[in-house]
Amino acid sequence: MKKNKASVFFMWFVFISGMIYFFLPLYATFDFSLRMLKDRLSLEAYKEVFKDPNFYTNFGYSMVWSVVTILICMLLFTWTAYWMHLKMPHWRPYIEFVSLLPFVVPAVVLIFGLIRMYSRVSVGSFNLLGTPILLIATYVVMAMPYMFRSVDAGLRAIDVRTLTEAGQCLGASRSQILFQIIFPNLRVSLLNGLFLTFAIVIGEYTVASLLGWPSFGVYIRYAVAMKAYEPAALSLISFLMTWVIMMIVQYVGRGSPGQTQIATH
Amino acid sequence: MAFIQIRNVSKAFSPNTFAVRDFSMEIGRGELVSFLGPSGCGKTTTLRMVAGFEIPTSGTIFIKDTDITHKPPNQRNVGMVFQAYALFPNMTVAGNIGYGLRIAKRPPAEIEQRVKEMLALVHMANFGDRYPHQLSGGQQQRVALARALAVKPEVLLLDEPLSALDAKIRVSLRGEIRTIQKELGITTIYVTHDQEEALSISDRIVVMNGGRIEQIGSPFDIYNFPQTEFIAQFVGTLNAVKVEVKDAAAGILRLENQTIKTTQTSDLGKNGDQVMIAIRPERLSISADGAAGNVLEATVENITFLGAIVRIQVKIDQATFHIDTFNDPFIALPQIKQKVHVAFPEEAVMALKNK
Amino acid sequence: MSLLAKKVDTSRAKTGDAPEARPFSNRRNWDWLGMLPFILYGLLLLILPSVSIVIRSFESPEGGFTINNIIEIFRRTDLLNAYKNSLIISLLTALVGGIWGFLIAYAVTSGALPGRIRNFVLTFSGVASNFAGVPLAFAFIATIGNTGLITRGVSYLSGVNVVQHGWKVYNIWGLSLVYLYFQLPLMILVLSPALDGLKREWREASDTLGGTGWHYWRNVGIPILLPAVLGSTILLFGNAFGAYATAFAFAGSSLNLITIVIGAQIQGDVLFNPGLGNALALGMILIMSLSLYGYMYLMRTAARWTR
Repeated sequence: MKKNKASVFFMWFVFISGMIYFFLPLYATFDFSLRMLKDRLSLEAYKEVFKDPNFYTNFGYSMVWSVVTILICMLLFTWTAYWMHLKMPHWRPYIEFVSLLPFVVPAVVLIFGLIRMYSRVSVGSFNLLGTPILLIATYVVMAMPYMFRSVDAGLRAIDVRTLTEAGQCLGASRSQILFQIIFPNLRVSLLNGLFLTFAIVIGEYTVASLLGWPSFGVYIRYAVAMKAYEPAALSLISFLMTWVIMMIVQYVGRGSPGQTQIATH
Repeated sequence: MAFIQIRNVSKAFSPNTFAVRDFSMEIGRGELVSFLGPSGCGKTTTLRMVAGFEIPTSGTIFIKDTDITHKPPNQRNVGMVFQAYALFPNMTVAGNIGYGLRIAKRPPAEIEQRVKEMLALVHMANFGDRYPHQLSGGQQQRVALARALAVKPEVLLLDEPLSALDAKIRVSLRGEIRTIQKELGITTIYVTHDQEEALSISDRIVVMNGGRIEQIGSPFDIYNFPQTEFIAQFVGTLNAVKVEVKDAAAGILRLENQTIKTTQTSDLGKNGDQVMIAIRPERLSISADGAAGNVLEATVENITFLGAIVRIQVKIDQATFHIDTFNDPFIALPQIKQKVHVAFPEEAVMALKNK
Repeated sequence: MSLLAKKVDTSRAKTGDAPEARPFSNRRNWDWLGMLPFILYGLLLLILPSVSIVIRSFESPEGGFTINNIIEIFRRTDLLNAYKNSLIISLLTALVGGIWGFLIAYAVTSGALPGRIRNFVLTFSGVASNFAGVPLAFAFIATIGNTGLITRGVSYLSGVNVVQHGWKVYNIWGLSLVYLYFQLPLMILVLSPALDGLKREWREASDTLGGTGWHYWRNVGIPILLPAVLGSTILLFGNAFGAYATAFAFAGSSLNLITIVIGAQIQGDVLFNPGLGNALALGMILIMSLSLYGYMYLMRTAARWTR
C-alpha cells in the first residue's frame, strides 16, 4: 500500500476517533461507579452489588440457564452436524437455512410467536409457561447459529468421512468413532461455541424479562430502574466478564482460522 | 549499450538483514535473463526493485540510460506478471487486457484492436468476455501476460509465473512465454526457483543465494561449469564427494582406495588438501573394457527406472554415485550387488569452490 | 460472524456411504431418523411459530380471514411512527456505522497501522458487539444522560446548564448513538475478512500498467469492495431493526419502535387486536429476511471475487 503522510494521518485519526467513542462511555460508567459515596471515590457501589443477595440469585439463575442451554446445544447440534456430514450432506442447504432463521426472527418476534403457540399448553396441572422450558428453548434457538456453525466448521476441517472410514477400516464401532476420534478433534469448535453461547445467555434480557424469569440481565435492568450507582458497577462487571470470555474464545480458537465470532444481542 | 543496468544494488529491510547485497549486472536488449535460486535468496526482491515496489537501500537501476531507481512503478513502463495472476476479478478478460490502455486514454477503437491482438498472441481469442474466476490457472496466467504486454512495456518482469500451475501446464506455458518473448523481442527478467525452467528458456541465468549473485552465465555454462558448490548442487543432480589431493599439478586425487584423475587442476589447492569434486551423473557410464579416462570399481546398489532415463546407484568404496543412462530396452542392465566398472572422462571431474 | 455462506464442496460426499455391508437402498431409508431431533427442534421452535405468526396476521378477532390487520398498520399513526422511527434508526446507524466501520476496518487491515492495533481492534470489536443490551444502555445513560459525564462536561465548558436548555437524548438520535456501539464493531468484524481479501498484487498490477492510486480505487478497489461493504451495511440495518433490549433499557417503552411495540403487545394486548400484533411481527420478519438475503447475496459475490 502506498503510504503517504496524509493517508497515514487520516487512518490514525479514524482509529483514534473510534477509540475515543468506545472508551468514553466505559470511562463514564467507571467514573460513575466510583461515586457512590458523596465526597470521595470508592468501590462502594461494587461492595453493594456483591452484598446484594439478589445479585447472586439472578446470576445463579443465569448460570443455570447457560449450562443447560450449552448442554442441549452441544448434544443437539454436534449430533446433527455430524450426522449431516456423514449421512446426509444433501440436506445441508435446508439445515443451513434453519441455522440462519434466528437472524431473521429477532428475539422479540420469536418470543411473540412462541408464547402465542404454547401459552395454552398444559397437561393436567403442568403448565408449560410455568417451567423454564420455553426460556431454555429460546436460548437454544438464539445460540444455534454460533454453535452449529462452529461445530460445522470444525467438522469440515477434520474431514469426517475420511476419519470415519479410517476408523471403520481399523475395526472401530460407530460410537467408538464418535467419542474417540470425532469429539476430541472437535474440542476447539465445541469450546468456541460453548463460550459464545455462554456470553449470549449470561447477558440476555429480552427473553427472560418477557417470559418472566430471573436472570442476570433482568437484574441489571432492575438495578438501572431502581438504583443509582449499582448499575454502573454492574455494567462494568458485565463488560469485564464479556472481555474475559472473548479472550478465552480467542485463546481457544487461536489455531483455527476464522473462528472469532461475535454475538449480537 | 546495455538495456538494463543494475549497479551495486542492495536492499536492507532492517539495519542488519540484507535481502539483496551488491547486485550488479547488465541486460541486453531482447535478452531473457532468469534469476534463479532457492526461497529467500533475494531474487524476487531484486525484481521488485526493478519494478518499483521496493526502493534500493543503495545502488542504481537504469533502463535505457534513464535512472529509474526512485521512480514510482506507474512511471517506469515495465510490465509485470505475478505468481498469483492478479487479474482484476471485477473485469472481463478483455477489460483486464485493455486496462492499461484505458488509463493511457487511447481511443476505444485502438484499444479493441490491441486487445484482439493480445488475445490471439496468447491463444485465447474467444475468451474476451469471460471473467477470471471462470478460467483455469494456466488461462489466467496467459491473460495476465497479455495484459502486461498490451501497453508495450520496455521491460517484462515475471515473478515465478508458473509456480502455481500443474506440472504439464508449466512445461507447455513456459515454452509459449519464451516464444512470445522472442517474437516481440522484449527484454525480460524471469524469476524462478525451478532450475529446469531457467535452463530451458533463458539466454542467461543469474544464480543467487543469500542475497548475492553466485554466478551469471548461459544455461550451458551454469550447468556444465558451475563455479561454486552451491550452484553445482542446486542446478541439476550431482555426484559430490570429498577426495584428497595427491598431486595438485597433475590433477591426481585419491578417493579412499582408488585414484581419480582430473584435468581441472586450477582449484585443487595444495597436496594433501581435502577438496570436494563433482561429476554429473550423465557423464558416468558402466563400461566394458578398454574405456579411456577414469575407470573405477563399483558395486551396484539400486536401479531406478525413470522412463527415458535409467538411474543406477553404485557404491565406489564408501561413496554413493548415481549414473544416468538412456533407456534402451535391448541392453541388459547390471544386477544388484554385481561388481562393475564405472568410467568417466577426466574433464568431467569438477573441483568445487566453496564460497 | 462468518455468515459468508460459501459454496460448500460436497463433491466428495456424493459418492455415498462408507463401506457398509448392507444393500444400499435398505440403509438409505432410515438415515433421516438421525435428523429427527433437529427436525423436531426446527419445527416446534422456529418454523411453526413463524408460520403461526403469518397465519394469525390474517386472522380477524372473530376468527375469519382478513387483510384488515395489514391495512390497519397503515391507518394507525402511532404504528406508522413506530415503523418510521425504527427505519430511521436502522438506516442511520447502518450508514454511519457502515462508513465509519469501513474506514476503521480499512485503516486496520491496510497495513498503515501496526499489526498489534489490528488484533486489538478485532478483539475489542468482538467484545463491544457483545456488550449490547442493558449494560450498554446504562453506560450511555452515564455518559450522555442528564447527569452523564459528557452532559456535565458540556455544561461546565459552556457555562450553561444544558439539561435545562433542551438537552434531550432519550429519543431516536440518542438511541442511534447507543446503537453505534455494537453496529460499528459488527461492521469491522464482518468487513475485515473481505478487506484482507483485497490482494496487494492488484494494486501493484494497476501500478505497473500505469495507473495512479485514483485509477486503482475507481476501477478495481471500490468495485471489488462494494458488494462486501453494501452487504455488511444491509446486515447492520437488519441488526438495528431487530434490537429490543438496548432500546428498552435506554428509553423505556416511551420510545416508539416496532420492537418495543411488539414487546408491549406480548406483555398485554395494548393494541387491542391480537391479529395486529402478528401483522407487526410478520412485517418484521419480512424486513429482516430481505436484509439477510441481501447480505448473503452480496457477500457471495464478494467472496467469489476475493477468493
